Amino acid sequence: MSIKIKDLTVTFKNKVTAIDHADLEIPGGIYGLLGENGAGKTTLMRVLTTVLTPAEGTVVIDGVLYSEENYPKIQKKIGYLPQEIDLYPGLTLQECLEYMGDLAGVPRDQCRERIRYYLEKTSLTEHRKKKMRQLSGGMKRRAGLVQALLNEPEFLIVDEPTTGLDPEERIRIRNLLVDFSENRTVLFSTHVVEDLAAVCSQLAVMKKGRFLYAGSMKELVRKAKGHVWICRAEDEIEARQIERRYHISSKQLSEDGVQIRVISEQRPDADCMPAEPTLEDAYIYVSGRDA
Amino acid sequence: MMKKEAKISLPVYKLVYAFCFTVVLSLIRGVVFTYEVGIAMEAPMAVLALVFCADTYTQEITSGRSEVLRLCPMRKRLCSVLERMGIQEGVLFLLSAAGYGFFCLFQAPMPFYKAGEGGETEGKLFLTFLGAVAVTLLFWGMLSNLLSCLFRNMWAGIGCGIVLWLVTNSSFGKQVLGSWNLFSYTFRDVTDSGDLTWVQGKILCLALCIIMAALMPKLIRKRG
Repeated sequence: MSIKIKDLTVTFKNKVTAIDHADLEIPGGIYGLLGENGAGKTTLMRVLTTVLTPAEGTVVIDGVLYSEENYPKIQKKIGYLPQEIDLYPGLTLQECLEYMGDLAGVPRDQCRERIRYYLEKTSLTEHRKKKMRQLSGGMKRRAGLVQALLNEPEFLIVDEPTTGLDPEERIRIRNLLVDFSENRTVLFSTHVVEDLAAVCSQLAVMKKGRFLYAGSMKELVRKAKGHVWICRAEDEIEARQIERRYHISSKQLSEDGVQIRVISEQRPDADCMPAEPTLEDAYIYVSGRDA
Repeated sequence: MMKKEAKISLPVYKLVYAFCFTVVLSLIRGVVFTYEVGIAMEAPMAVLALVFCADTYTQEITSGRSEVLRLCPMRKRLCSVLERMGIQEGVLFLLSAAGYGFFCLFQAPMPFYKAGEGGETEGKLFLTFLGAVAVTLLFWGMLSNLLSCLFRNMWAGIGCGIVLWLVTNSSFGKQVLGSWNLFSYTFRDVTDSGDLTWVQGKILCLALCIIMAALMPKLIRKRG
């Protein structure tokens, strides 16, 4: 399954352009969508889930053009976990998932079997009789993911699926998405670079409604090669001065001062040495270059 | 599915405030004769229906679930809304019947006609009230849900509904609309039990309910 986006523009009633003439091709497997808050990631996903209709441009999924008459056909193929969703607080987890599955048109027995499987995979089995309002934020997030998987969608769209999860849960969810993505397409939107580094090889970087980069993760990292530096500052005051002058991707306190990862086209004017770029460095490099 | 819809559309707080509303109404609204009970109840129960049914679908919008529900077949989504409406209307209808009983219990109103003098019997009065209030509840409940969906906000839906309620439940509404008033049961001539022209108002309510039912799928598709 592949999704082709061509010259997509989304403009809201208040004249704000959330997506500005964007082109993208999303292949099978897990595809990452990186971008700061307000970059247009959620708007893009709302277009892909047919919630929003674009002002210009086309979206084609598996040869089917996004249009009013094709929406029912397209909607069947999609599973969606929005960034914010409050599932029925008065229902138990099991009831809630059965209800969502039923609404999605999944046959009852099949639905129960899938619920059992995904609750197991997300370590929620023991909480299935708890009311949704009694679950923690992380559990609710996992429950939200399970509801998105119930109709076994060909195209799964997940918006910040690991928000509020502890490190162990995050790994479990990433593994679940990797398993699920076999023969399917998963669009994984996040601003947590570490999550993408662990699960996907292809990604796009968004900023202000445009794609700054779309391609392989290796290529993105390669672009930042020679532009990442580790600088040492003697104290916080000196570190702040460096921060003001350059883009930084991380800062760490050590016994002999402060160690800062600086992203810069030229060697910074400080005590520094070149470093191998990480995905986070590359993301900041690409984002910063546009600014 | 029905049990889950009941859990979703009838949280405890809604049942509690609806019950309290009915009890308080039967305590504070004075009636002398039994025919006044129905008149005392129809318009306030319409307000209760306005508030009670306003979140039937808008709860999906405020919770963010509507974005996921958009991917579900329209028929399933509509069935869900219809089931919720049915459950809520059923509860309101039972409360209205109970409210009639509370009036009789707390205020012991007198029959207007003495036994053998003619006019409506107590049983017929009660059944007429049940029929009229069922239509009233259906109309105001559906209107509230429809307006809330239109504005994607239950308070806007309730607000607009209240404006219509104020206009129709007034001397102005009585004079202008006559027997076609949405509260024609309240404004009927109680001294002439043979006069059934007030039924016209209820027929109008039912006709508007059919129109609202037809508009609902379009509205959910566009605004849901």
